[in-house]
Amino acid sequence: MNNQTKSQFVAVASITSELSAVMVVAKEISLAAANAKAIAFRAGDKAKGFQPITDFINELAKETIELVTSINVYALSLYQLTVNEFRKTNAYNKFELVAKMSKDAPYAQSMQQPLEHAKLSMELCQRQFKRDVKQLLDQLEAVMHHARAARVIAANSRIEASQAGEYLQSLQAVAESVDKAAHTIHDNVQRCRIALSLYRNS
Amino acid sequence: MKMTKIYEGSHQWIMFGRDENKPANIIDSNQYAVRTANRCLLLDPGGSELFAPMMAAVLHHAPVEHITDLFASHQDPDVISSLGLWDQALSGAKLHAPAIWEGFLRHFGCESIEYVPIPDNGGTIKLESVELQLIPAHYLHSSGNFHVYDPQAKILMSGDVGTALEAPGAPMFVENFDLHIEKMRYFHQRWMPSNQAKRAWIERVRSLEIDILAPQHGRVFKGNDVKRFLDWFDALQVGIAV
Ligand SMILES: [Fe+2]
Ligand SMILES: [Fe+2]
Repeated sequence: MNNQTKSQFVAVASITSELSAVMVVAKEISLAAANAKAIAFRAGDKAKGFQPITDFINELAKETIELVTSINVYALSLYQLTVNEFRKTNAYNKFELVAKMSKDAPYAQSMQQPLEHAKLSMELCQRQFKRDVKQLLDQLEAVMHHARAARVIAANSRIEASQAGEYLQSLQAVAESVDKAAHTIHDNVQRCRIALSLYRNS
Repeated sequence: MKMTKIYEGSHQWIMFGRDENKPANIIDSNQYAVRTANRCLLLDPGGSELFAPMMAAVLHHAPVEHITDLFASHQDPDVISSLGLWDQALSGAKLHAPAIWEGFLRHFGCESIEYVPIPDNGGTIKLESVELQLIPAHYLHSSGNFHVYDPQAKILMSGDVGTALEAPGAPMFVENFDLHIEKMRYFHQRWMPSNQAKRAWIERVRSLEIDILAPQHGRVFKGNDVKRFLDWFDALQVGIAV
């Protein structure tokens, strides 16, 4: 296995692990939203501005979870594609070796067709991989949007929390945890994108 | 890769082995081809490391499209880990291999090749007018294991039975049976698990007319050395690791 293939395997495998971390954090956000809703309910009028925000946070968390679930399916198919590409490339290299080694064999010519066929299916795999990587990158971009939106909401929450009198601290804590979670998601997804972007045009 | 014709009649048996370019840390193995006018069967075609030299050697005897059948005596990597490569080189070929190993062997990659499961009691492979018998050799050493008998050529391809561990470049045929024994003893005692299975196999094989006993490693036995081998193996205690 050459370095290019090795790092391709690592890149694709790392997506799955980064995404499962994103999933955990998204679930935390949705928990924070439920928590915030309860506090805002107790705070009544004092947290009036906060109530719609909690619904928004919840919605955002749900969408992120859905998105990551569908990305995971993609990542899995990308992994299978990587395995396939590795198999095909390996076969092509071996067939080339056969052609070299069998130069003086009476039936050497018969190897040409399998060789051609292996080359075509290897290239098909490579093209498909690039296409799928591009699609995955677009989906990751959508998750980044969600993370950015969550950070804006967290900033708004902080402002609303400051109006909430004795509930200020607990609401601020909610805003804090949403902000932190959004940050983590942003970083993880960014790492996925950097790992993958190597393969978009290579 | 050395090529030796071990039978020439209405069809041919070719033995491949002693590959000079093989990495030193993988076991040397013998591969066999049965060649008829339009078809070619490869017996224990070998590990993936061996695929390129093996395929290149076969091209001296048959074009790729004539390779219609593969046989794997059992599931070991030195026997058939090249499967995933044959799978991509051949079209419409069949792999004859023990039924109980199907789910395992498919790990090597078997998509275009048709897996023809050999039931425990054996079967046949028909190659044009040649009919080869698949002789059960379970627990010698693998729990699902077959040998190939050609009644016309009187050849028994005996998988790991008859193996000798020797220095690279050893001759293809046993020349002095008594000297050969020491190269076989430990392998058979350590790799073969069951005296009972050995007994059953010897009984079965003694009823066959065999001119050549062709193992997957080491040298080929001819003429009287076949009987000598059976007598020696009969008397040997195996399964010594417990
Ligand atoms: Fe074996
Ligand atoms: Fe073996």
